[in-house]
Amino acid sequence: MKIDVKHIAKLSRISLTDEELKKFTPQMEGILESASVLQEVNTDGVKPMKGHIKLEEVREDISGECLTQEEVLKNAKYKEAGCVKVYGKVFGENQES
Amino acid sequence: MNKELTDKYDVIIGLEIHIQTNTKSKMFCSCPTGYFQKQPNTHVCPVCLGLPGALPVPNKRAIELCILMGLATNCNIANEIYFDRKHYFYPDLPKGYQISQYKDPICSDGYVEISNGQKVAIERIHQEEDVAKSTHHTEGSTGKEYTLVDYNKSSVPLIEIVTKPNITSAKDAKDYATKIRQIARYLNISDADMEKGQMRCEPNISIQEKGKWEYKDGKILPIGEYKLNPKVEVKNIGSITAVEKAIEYEVERMSAELEDGEEIKQQTRGWNAAKGITEFQRYKESADDYRYMPEPDIPVIDISKEDIERIRKEIVELPNEKIKRYMQDWDITEYAADVISSTKESAEYFEKLQKKLSESMNEKDSAKEASNWIMGPLYAIANKQGKEIADIGVNGDDLAKLIVAFKEDVFTKNKAEELLNQSIEKGLNITDEIEKLKSAKESVGSLDNIVKQVIDENTQAVTDYKSGKEASIGFLVGKVMQLTHGTANPNDVRNTLIEELKK
Repeated sequence: MKIDVKHIAKLSRISLTDEELKKFTPQMEGILESASVLQEVNTDGVKPMKGHIKLEEVREDISGECLTQEEVLKNAKYKEAGCVKVYGKVFGENQES
Repeated sequence: MNKELTDKYDVIIGLEIHIQTNTKSKMFCSCPTGYFQKQPNTHVCPVCLGLPGALPVPNKRAIELCILMGLATNCNIANEIYFDRKHYFYPDLPKGYQISQYKDPICSDGYVEISNGQKVAIERIHQEEDVAKSTHHTEGSTGKEYTLVDYNKSSVPLIEIVTKPNITSAKDAKDYATKIRQIARYLNISDADMEKGQMRCEPNISIQEKGKWEYKDGKILPIGEYKLNPKVEVKNIGSITAVEKAIEYEVERMSAELEDGEEIKQQTRGWNAAKGITEFQRYKESADDYRYMPEPDIPVIDISKEDIERIRKEIVELPNEKIKRYMQDWDITEYAADVISSTKESAEYFEKLQKKLSESMNEKDSAKEASNWIMGPLYAIANKQGKEIADIGVNGDDLAKLIVAFKEDVFTKNKAEELLNQSIEKGLNITDEIEKLKSAKESVGSLDNIVKQVIDENTQAVTDYKSGKEASIGFLVGKVMQLTHGTANPNDVRNTLIEELKK
């Protein structure tokens, strides 16, 4: 079972040294290999086990309490104009800016 | 594209529309949604802030609105709702993943009929949450780049509507977007105001050589050895008209590139409204790996047939159906029907007016009158005021009375419009005015008698007219109009005078 650990690490924003890459790859592949014993079970027609609730039991659309702006920004390292301030040029995926 | 290019290339468009739905609270927490122009970070809680340990609790109304959109667009509705996590990193995504739907959207395989009769196929409609608002800046003192994040918008409910790639022109894309917005507004699913970010349109556009591709099972496939040109995604479109403009621009740009012998690369571009161009943002060599996984913190939500029927009751007659009905039942023109049904409020105004008028005239005539008065005088006033016709302060019942009185010849069209304007500008009571004019007309007696009276009383003018002075007739008409308090039809007066003077 092959894993592209470099790719997965990049998606998780974890930087690995070449040494770590060499060490982790067989370890991770080994874990998946042993878990793959599950593939031996025939699950045709068996639905995944997951809790179900009815639509009528879902939360009613009523608005409630919020944090204050001060509370929201309490743990922000930097703040400006009531917003969380993040340094650095931002690349990559942005849904809406 | 010029004719040469339109003969060579076909345009293929798929449109993705995101709509913020009208709920009081957010998608996965109870923070209030009305954040527009509020202080930053004042509509936030640990859940939408993505703090460790916070758990999402789905909003029932949001899900109902997604189902409602699906029912209004002829979709199949799933009987189980599964949420998935979509992972990526960006400052506006506090959890590092967005709770969305990947494998099993709530709605699928629907369609919307656009003005040219085509049914634009909808691939899917799914439920997800909005991200925070981030703005990018450069620090004056240090030159460092930074981002400011406001989490008020984070986790507001969004529905995403994705078409199959079967839209074939920029105009059709704009039409489709307009129809979706109408449906959203008609059913109170969303105010869908693009300027407020409540509705966002992202077209995916490609151009392919004619005859070298086919549309099969909702996909674009090459024929033979032809290599398909990749598609380009355009973001940051801020208005419905820009949907058409941005697509037209992009089609021009891509065809120019191809004609120059260049290869089109799959990419994302941003619409620059000020410059009227799209600007490169990033290449998309491969599909993004979002590491989708089932959302473990939310159970499966079962939708019963009863749930669907209950939600279906919220569907009202939508614009497409109104247009057909107005045209079929009442011979209203397609143009007028389209304009009148463009908003729910104007359609309701028209239908109420028609109903009131039908107390005094037949169905078709009442509809015709209602349509003419709305399309003419009312829209003229509405445009001047910059308001919707339902908001200009003309009570439908009063207008009906006015129209009936006009049809009964109590006064002229000009007088009627004058009364209309005065009722708005000076608060003139239309019912009272009509009564006044009616009794004035009745007390004044028949036109023939007045004409005879004027002729008797103005011998000099009569003599002048009979001896060839044409202009004197104008004087006599004026005298008659005075005595009828301006209610008579000047042409009728003139003709009656001429007839009488011949004797």
